[in-house]
Amino acid sequence: MFQNFRLAMAWVHTWFGLFLGFVLMVVFFFGSLSVFDREIDRWAIPESRFEPQPMPSYDEILKPVFEDMQPSKESVDQMRPRVDGPMPEHFDTPVRWGAYTTHRDPVLGLFAGYRVPNAKNPDELVWGTRTIDPRTGDALPDDQLKIGSRFFYPLHYSLNLHWMDLGYWIVGLAALIMLVALVTGVVMHRKLFRELFTFRPNKSKQRSILDLHNLTGVVALPFHFMFAFTGLVIFAGIYFPVTHTQLEPLHDLHEVVESQETGLPHESAGVPAPTASVDAMVAEAQRRWAARDMAGDVGFLALQHVGDANGYVSIYRAGTDRIALTGEGIHFKASTGEVLREDPPPSAVERIDEFLTGLHLQHFRHWLLRWLYVLGGLAGCACIATGFLFFVEKRKRQHAKRGQIGARVVDAMAVTTVTGMLIATLGMLIANRLLPTNLPARGDWEQYCFWGIWVLAMAHAFWRTAPVARARLAPAWGEQCWAIAVLAVAAVLLNWVTTGDHLLKTLSVGYWPVAGVDLFMLVGAVVAILAARRLKRRARPQPAASGELSGETAHA
Amino acid sequence: MSTATASRAQLLSRMAAALLGGYGFAWGFIALGVATAFAAGMPFHDAEHLFSLLAFLLYLVTFLWSFAARDPRRVWLVLAGGGALMAALASLIQHVLV
Repeated sequence: MFQNFRLAMAWVHTWFGLFLGFVLMVVFFFGSLSVFDREIDRWAIPESRFEPQPMPSYDEILKPVFEDMQPSKESVDQMRPRVDGPMPEHFDTPVRWGAYTTHRDPVLGLFAGYRVPNAKNPDELVWGTRTIDPRTGDALPDDQLKIGSRFFYPLHYSLNLHWMDLGYWIVGLAALIMLVALVTGVVMHRKLFRELFTFRPNKSKQRSILDLHNLTGVVALPFHFMFAFTGLVIFAGIYFPVTHTQLEPLHDLHEVVESQETGLPHESAGVPAPTASVDAMVAEAQRRWAARDMAGDVGFLALQHVGDANGYVSIYRAGTDRIALTGEGIHFKASTGEVLREDPPPSAVERIDEFLTGLHLQHFRHWLLRWLYVLGGLAGCACIATGFLFFVEKRKRQHAKRGQIGARVVDAMAVTTVTGMLIATLGMLIANRLLPTNLPARGDWEQYCFWGIWVLAMAHAFWRTAPVARARLAPAWGEQCWAIAVLAVAAVLLNWVTTGDHLLKTLSVGYWPVAGVDLFMLVGAVVAILAARRLKRRARPQPAASGELSGETAHA
Repeated sequence: MSTATASRAQLLSRMAAALLGGYGFAWGFIALGVATAFAAGMPFHDAEHLFSLLAFLLYLVTFLWSFAARDPRRVWLVLAGGGALMAALASLIQHVLV
């Protein structure tokens, strides 16, 4: 079927790369944005524009907030069919309380899980969340969408497509294909070292596109490989739920042994008991970390079996000073404050796993490295986008001659997933600044704007790629570049008008979360204008220069 | 059957083998690895992490092999047959342990 190994690999690279490339584009771009998800949250929620805060005092700030919380309406509604009898008006048996923060969070996210009377599965809880200002304990309005950490970030790994976890599976397949594309790409080219230094922008368009595709792929090859691979590893439990299906009995066997070993009660005792000072437990945990020569702040604090004699408090360290995503958890008996257990040092396998996970999720405090992550991700985007362009350039003349529409459809999809995606993203940020603050379910509207604008951009892309069918350049590219430039500048201006935080102000006080988002959009606008102008020059008729293409490009 | 349809059918078969056969093979590999390593005294979560980590690399290799191999029937035999065999062995070990 395939004449030789290299041609087989080239076929796999071209076709799997093309189809999953549209998904990979989304994954790489929103992954890049997620490096600064908390900062985008600041931009989108002006009330939260203050300095990052440490975990506040539980006894003074968190306790009254937790006591005031209730499960969300959605969670209660979802639970309703799995309960015998009516739902209570008020849930008063909290099972789990938790608070999570990072070194980049001014606001603090809390969650609470409650037992449901007469639930068919008594272990199933209903959940509520709240975001507070940790300095005062005041709640932030619930319907403010954290666009960075609650929309762009989950878009990166689940496409926000939660039906049957379908989004996770599509992204997982795309990640596998990314690995496949990297290996097959290397097999196809062989002259790896030379490609690191090869970019001929002034040769024919097809030639320079391929140079750029190879360059961005090879320069960041280890980065791309590590991210696709670690991304799969992070969700291994979803992709291969072996130990929760086939090997469930073995898993249960191990869990019984484990809870005996850890001494942390799996069930509540059913006997009420007061909670001792959690602040004292935090102080003890920090003392123990310091004694291990790894002094640090609390990243995650959780109470299990709240108000029960079996209750315990788990305190985990924030991993700001290392790559590995570790917690160094210390667990206390809630009623007395005595230490029940200190998580043992990780085994070799755990260390590898924590390193790979941490490498991807970057909880560390290192701004240069964060920017390198963004650049690596954007290099990935450039690699995928140039792959699309090369596919189109290579085929459009032939397709035009034969009256086929393949090249045009691919070009339209490429416009949709490259420039269209940027337009949707900017459109969402603009909607965030324009929608009235008291609009009910405002966050939902922001999401509708994102998807709606993307669909419009797609329609435009399919309409304005018609010339590709005649082997010419699609005007859609240039037009959408201009749209990006206009929208990016508009977003920055709207941020100024609606919050008063213009760049001179945010830069002079060094408030980088907002200044950074603004600057990033302005740079994007400049790049878009340069691209649009260059495209305009390209669109002028020029003598065909296909003769010089040979060898390497022939098999792609 | 013309050669074009034959090669299209073969291509579909290879794609299915790469995606589904490879998945089954990786599944069997994790199951057998976890069961064996746990039986041999490795902590459960260590075994789980180690073998799913290796399984993704294995999946990548079997995916490429599905297209590179000369005979697609052999690909199916190894991936589906091997996957089922490993999964069955894993269940057997579990049966003995639990």
